[in-house]
Amino acid sequence: MTEQAVAGATIELENLTKHYPGTEQPAVDSVSMEIKAGETVVFVGPSGCGKSTTLKMINRLIEPTGGRIRINGEDVTGIDPVKLRRKVGYAIQSSGLFPHLTVAQNIALVPKMLGWSKARVRDRVGEMLDLVGLDPGEFHDRYPRQLSGGQQQRVGVARALAADPPVLLMDEPFGAVDPITRDHLQDELIRLQHELHKTIVFVTHDFDEAIKLGDRIAVLRERSHIAQFDTPEAILTNPADDFVSGFVGAGAALKRLNLTRVRDVEMRDYPAVTVDTPLQEIFGHLRGSGTNEVLLLDRRRRPYKWLRRGDLMRARGSLARAGTLVHDTVTRDATLRDALEAVLTDNAGRVAVTGRRGEYLGVVDMETLMNSVHELLEEDRLEAMEHQHELAETRTQQTHFAQEGDGGEQKA
Amino acid sequence: MNFWEYLGTRHQQLLVDAYQHASAVFQCMVVATLIGVVVGVVTYRTAWAANLATLTTSTILTMPSLALIGLLIPVVGLGVAPTVIALTLYGLLPITRNAIVGLRGVDPALVDAARGIGMSRTMRLLRIELPLAWPPILTGIRVATQMLMGIAAIAAYASGPGLGNEIFRGLASLGSKNALNQVLAGTLGIIVLALLFDAAYVLIGRLTIPRGIRD
Amino acid sequence: MSGKDDDGRDGGYGPHGPGTDGLGAGKPDVGGLDLDGPEGLDGPDGLGPPDDGTARPAPPPPARRSPLSRIGWQRLTLLPALLILLLLATWLWFQQAHLDTISTNAISGGQVTKALWQHIQLTVISTFFVLIIAIPLGVLLTRRAFRKATPIAMTIANMGQATPAIGLLALLVIWLGTGTKAALIGIIVYAVLPVLANTIAGLKANDPTLVEAARGIGMSPLGVLGRVELPLAVPLILAGVRTALVLNVGTATLATFGGGGGLGVLITTGITNQRMPVLILGAVLTISLALLVDWLASLAEVLLRPRGLEVEA
Repeated sequence: MTEQAVAGATIELENLTKHYPGTEQPAVDSVSMEIKAGETVVFVGPSGCGKSTTLKMINRLIEPTGGRIRINGEDVTGIDPVKLRRKVGYAIQSSGLFPHLTVAQNIALVPKMLGWSKARVRDRVGEMLDLVGLDPGEFHDRYPRQLSGGQQQRVGVARALAADPPVLLMDEPFGAVDPITRDHLQDELIRLQHELHKTIVFVTHDFDEAIKLGDRIAVLRERSHIAQFDTPEAILTNPADDFVSGFVGAGAALKRLNLTRVRDVEMRDYPAVTVDTPLQEIFGHLRGSGTNEVLLLDRRRRPYKWLRRGDLMRARGSLARAGTLVHDTVTRDATLRDALEAVLTDNAGRVAVTGRRGEYLGVVDMETLMNSVHELLEEDRLEAMEHQHELAETRTQQTHFAQEGDGGEQKA
Repeated sequence: MNFWEYLGTRHQQLLVDAYQHASAVFQCMVVATLIGVVVGVVTYRTAWAANLATLTTSTILTMPSLALIGLLIPVVGLGVAPTVIALTLYGLLPITRNAIVGLRGVDPALVDAARGIGMSRTMRLLRIELPLAWPPILTGIRVATQMLMGIAAIAAYASGPGLGNEIFRGLASLGSKNALNQVLAGTLGIIVLALLFDAAYVLIGRLTIPRGIRD
Repeated sequence: MSGKDDDGRDGGYGPHGPGTDGLGAGKPDVGGLDLDGPEGLDGPDGLGPPDDGTARPAPPPPARRSPLSRIGWQRLTLLPALLILLLLATWLWFQQAHLDTISTNAISGGQVTKALWQHIQLTVISTFFVLIIAIPLGVLLTRRAFRKATPIAMTIANMGQATPAIGLLALLVIWLGTGTKAALIGIIVYAVLPVLANTIAGLKANDPTLVEAARGIGMSPLGVLGRVELPLAVPLILAGVRTALVLNVGTATLATFGGGGGLGVLITTGITNQRMPVLILGAVLTISLALLVDWLASLAEVLLRPRGLEVEA
């Protein structure tokens, strides 16, 4: 990157309220929350709960009728909304690309409005296309209609990030693409966020998406009341109330597996040899190991074949013919759920873990997975108990102040 | 004298008529387009205003052209004035209506996106809404032009300019040898002009509608 | 979905949501979307080349789609009132206007009534023929066997748009001689093409899945046409009637140039003789007739439309 990217800013919402004239109940009722710089916060809730309205009040697409918004400590409730929006990235469902402008023109819109020089805008467009994984040469002059849904969404994100805003608002951005593409886009977003450290506020109604993307998740109920605002782990293992547990849905333990990566658990150290290892040595490993099996790696240390003790004999000492090919591996960034899937489908119940360039790192099997999951759940439980204790204390304090404790759900 | 001989001897007069016909229609179209688009821009956001604009222009269009021109004569006299006024008024409906429909047809998500990335009201209108509404507006201009071609012919009866005079000369001398030639020359001339204009609009469409929203 | 939910703001643009009437959203700017929504968004009528509704001085049916619409009701009562006022004012003005011999000659002896009656006759008869020619032809051209001919018919219809009505009429007069016959044929020929094009466009716009569903439950081709396609096309046929009527009232004013009579006689007499009272009388009557016919046709459109198709275009 040619420019130093601007990292995230804090966002504070204070009693943010939207009351449409002619309606009795406010659409958003006094929402307060603090979002840390560089954090990804996901608003999740049933449709009509006001999550989108809340998001749109942050860049004042919808003018709040009450409350304050502060970005990086600066009160933006009163400033010119047009200027505010140029500093806040905004990506929406089905990309919102302007069909009459090319990909490059779409991305260049905000930088141009901010008065960047032509050369700087041009460089930035190429850089942004690179960033979202699209070849600038190929996509620069295409029109949105000529792109697939996933590509459009990437351009949408590129446009939102073009002026390097500290804050990125995303309103169900992946709602209109197919599940496989959505999965890719989510991975991309995680990767981007690793590089950029923006403050992202993301709205979705898909809880799995929320778990996957969010550093913290705000589960919202009607009128945007915060039912729970916490890390995905905490919400999964310790839902605040029936509403949240209903929203988390069945299979919380399975979903928990999505939150941990293979790199975070202990891997088994399998004996590994390369194709260049002398046969004698391989025999030695086979005899010495408890598993009666070694993993054969190719010259670039990528998993190649599983070798059992009898295999070499049967193949009369030819490495080329011996053993079974490795057909499935997982990367160290894969979730435990992916790893479990791979282990379950493997007929010997183990799978090789690889690094960034496909090099061998270790092996996970049923046993390692079981151990890790038990450990994780145990940790979660302890944390949850501690948390509950704190919560109970806060509640008692609150009841001291208010006779009716109906505000409690907001501060969960 | 057959038709070709007629064309040969009268081509100068015919060319002048054709030029005046085309020029009257063209100028009135420019004015009607400006008024129509402005009215569209002003009214499309408010339902009652948009409906009023459509209703008014469609009421004008319901009036038979000969009658409207006739009503204008006592006010502005014979000649160019009633022609220009009538042509402009008749051209308004397709353009105003298509401008309103086109502007309203812009995907609200796009307007939302434009707002979201910090475009001001004027910028949204000029950079997003009007370009996206341009294809239907252009269609309206095409439709209006074809219509005005025929109405301009009738306006010749109120001493307006153009090829209509050729037709009325023929009608006035029914039974004479040249009647058919005159009527034919006028009618075919208008058809040719209408087709030329249409071709021009296709070309304009090619040049002005971005590839991204062309069908 | 109501105005209170996530999409509250988007609701203002209604046509994409189910609640196009916009009443639920409770915001003023959505109140009237039902008026132009259907008209504006159905491609063939608003944007596409087969837009014959506007190709000639035929009013498209704008604000009258929904009988519930406020402006619709206003329009229903407003227009007759305005017409009565207009006619009354003309009559009053006429009472005090100075009429010379030429003017008196032009309007005496029941000539005005005769011209009006002729005009109505020309309009009604021509409309009848236009409909019995154009609609069956449109149905025929959208059948499987003739579908290949559709583009040709549309091309001819579009070419026909470029022909000036007065030129067409003049040619017919030269060919057939002066009189009602030439005028009538001219009016009919001029109106058949747009009505035909509208019919074809409308039948084509019918949801193909409905036709497929009808075929799927075992309807014969005739059954599909009679029980599904035509009922669905009723609004369109009504629009065709209206287009034809209004178009024909207008073209009938030109009948005078071919000795076909009608209100055009008064207008031309007024112009050639420089007698403004005659001219104004003719013009006012013509315009009133055109607006009245359009108004009646719009009422018919609202009243005759099948129940289920009221809001939909």
